[in-house]
Amino acid sequence: MELFVQTIINGLILGAGYALVAVGLTVIFGTLHIVNFAHGAFFALGAYAVLVLGYADIPYLLAVPLAVIAVAIIGVALEWTVVRRALYDRGEHGSIIITFALSQAIVAAIILIVGPDPLPVSSPFGQTAISVFGFFLSAQRLFIALTSIVVLAGFAWWLRHSVKGQQILAVSQNPRGALYSGINVPLIRSLSFLLGISAAGLAGALIAPLISAFPTMGNANVIVAFTVVILGGLGSIGGAMLGALVIGLANALFETFVSVSWTPALGWILVILVLLFWPQGLMGRAQINRH
Amino acid sequence: MTQTPISSTSAVQDRNPVVTWGSLGLVVLGAAIILAVGLGVDSVFILTLAGYTCSFALFALSVNLILGGIGEVPLGQCMFFGIGAYVPAILMNHAGMPYEVGIFAGMAFSAVLAVVIGWLTLRLTGAYFSIVSWGLSGVAMVTALNLEITGGPLGLFGFSRLSIGPFDLNKPRVYFYATAIILLLALLFLAHVRTARFGRALESIRQSRHLAQSLGINVFRERLKALVLSAPIAALAGALCIPYMQIVTPDVMSVIRTVDALLAVLIGGTALLYGPVVGSVIFTIVPQFMDLDANVRVLVFSLLIIFIMVVAPGGLHQLMKALQARFVRSSGSKP
Repeated sequence: MELFVQTIINGLILGAGYALVAVGLTVIFGTLHIVNFAHGAFFALGAYAVLVLGYADIPYLLAVPLAVIAVAIIGVALEWTVVRRALYDRGEHGSIIITFALSQAIVAAIILIVGPDPLPVSSPFGQTAISVFGFFLSAQRLFIALTSIVVLAGFAWWLRHSVKGQQILAVSQNPRGALYSGINVPLIRSLSFLLGISAAGLAGALIAPLISAFPTMGNANVIVAFTVVILGGLGSIGGAMLGALVIGLANALFETFVSVSWTPALGWILVILVLLFWPQGLMGRAQINRH
Repeated sequence: MTQTPISSTSAVQDRNPVVTWGSLGLVVLGAAIILAVGLGVDSVFILTLAGYTCSFALFALSVNLILGGIGEVPLGQCMFFGIGAYVPAILMNHAGMPYEVGIFAGMAFSAVLAVVIGWLTLRLTGAYFSIVSWGLSGVAMVTALNLEITGGPLGLFGFSRLSIGPFDLNKPRVYFYATAIILLLALLFLAHVRTARFGRALESIRQSRHLAQSLGINVFRERLKALVLSAPIAALAGALCIPYMQIVTPDVMSVIRTVDALLAVLIGGTALLYGPVVGSVIFTIVPQFMDLDANVRVLVFSLLIIFIMVVAPGGLHQLMKALQARFVRSSGSKP
């Protein structure tokens, strides 16, 4: 019983971390109508930014926001050079290939510059665990969950109550209508891309102390994010948050009670099952992506 | 992908002759190239590489059957390639069966799997299809890593006899001839398929799924047929790569392989039947002479994919056409 509760707690905390990656992915899908296969690469970039800043003796808590800014800058540069030219209004087919190639390129660049081996990232929380009512929580995981909740709550509030946030929602609902009402749609798309990959970068920076930084670290997480986002319904932000908790729980339970070495396959199998039997997801709109 | 206008080859033709001038030309040209390389080249390295290029081109053809055929991005096509490599390896090492039987078993198994997978997943389109396809290849790779029969992360190796009938594929020249002839046969077969009713149906589906459906084409069934046709070709390519690689590891199913094939297809252009073959030749030969580190290679090729997609989504074929159009226009405007 105790193991079960402990696993549930771990799963929920894991889910809070997934939510960050997934919300970024879903925001980009909502406004740009592309599935960003390069999301995992930006996740890895966030982790490596923290690593490099750590080498420069910058404390972890300061390095995290700096890493997000660094990822955002790289993201803006790529948005400006590649994404904008190639993706918008080009249809899905091209965007899948381009974002996938972009992710391969970023991972290869990381390997060439930093090297292929996992590198540990230090954090003030280290390996400490906090005991709450007899259950152990890793301090770093708790930090991830809290940061993620604060950032996502802030983001949700910002979407609802700021002009730019409202514009993002408008573009994701109906880009043409948004354009006709005088919204600068290209700007909003760039902004959404920026926000989405910054969230991925933040998630990478937060998770790095737990799993070390390695070039393909984004793959596993972006796969989980795909599951989450598809489960929640592509483009739905609330759905992504809910989906993240569900998947976090599923992963933790599977890892504890079934098998660790088969866990990577679980994410894929869940994606496939959800897409096959529930393609609109928990909170998504009905899709025309079936026939 | 850009919507290419209906080309002259897909004009209405009621008859579908098995032997056309086009396919005859293909045979003559193909045979000439095969003989030229087979007789003219003595280097073991180049012959082996040419053999591998042919099997890789076969895989690119299979990818293009989906990409250029029904307009989906089959990120998980590497799974069929991997199955094509694993089944003969398993049958040879664990059951002592000959290589040829393994090749056919792999092709049959991948076709059956394609029926099941296609029946489940081809109702999805666009990014959804790509994600599921990628996902399945991920599951396949995890399975290959965890099972005992696949040799786990170490893979399978030490094959005693790699020959088709009396032809020993461990000999570089024989390997090249065998793969090249199989590639030529596959091209002929696909050329026939393209001009057949099925090929026309695919083209109309690629251009507009809904219009095709309204014309009475069973879109789902034709898409399924395309996948079931492409899977054994990918499996055959995987099996023919064994003499080159000499080892089958879970990496054989890595999605990087699909990315490589996508690049080859994109270089050559998706609209042409032999585009992927031209792309594969460029793709496998050029890096050998640039002596690139594996990661530099991935970086350069990924950037190349992005460049092609941004500048010329139709590949070399489109570039040539654009150049031709410009040339005609400029020469025509002169007095």
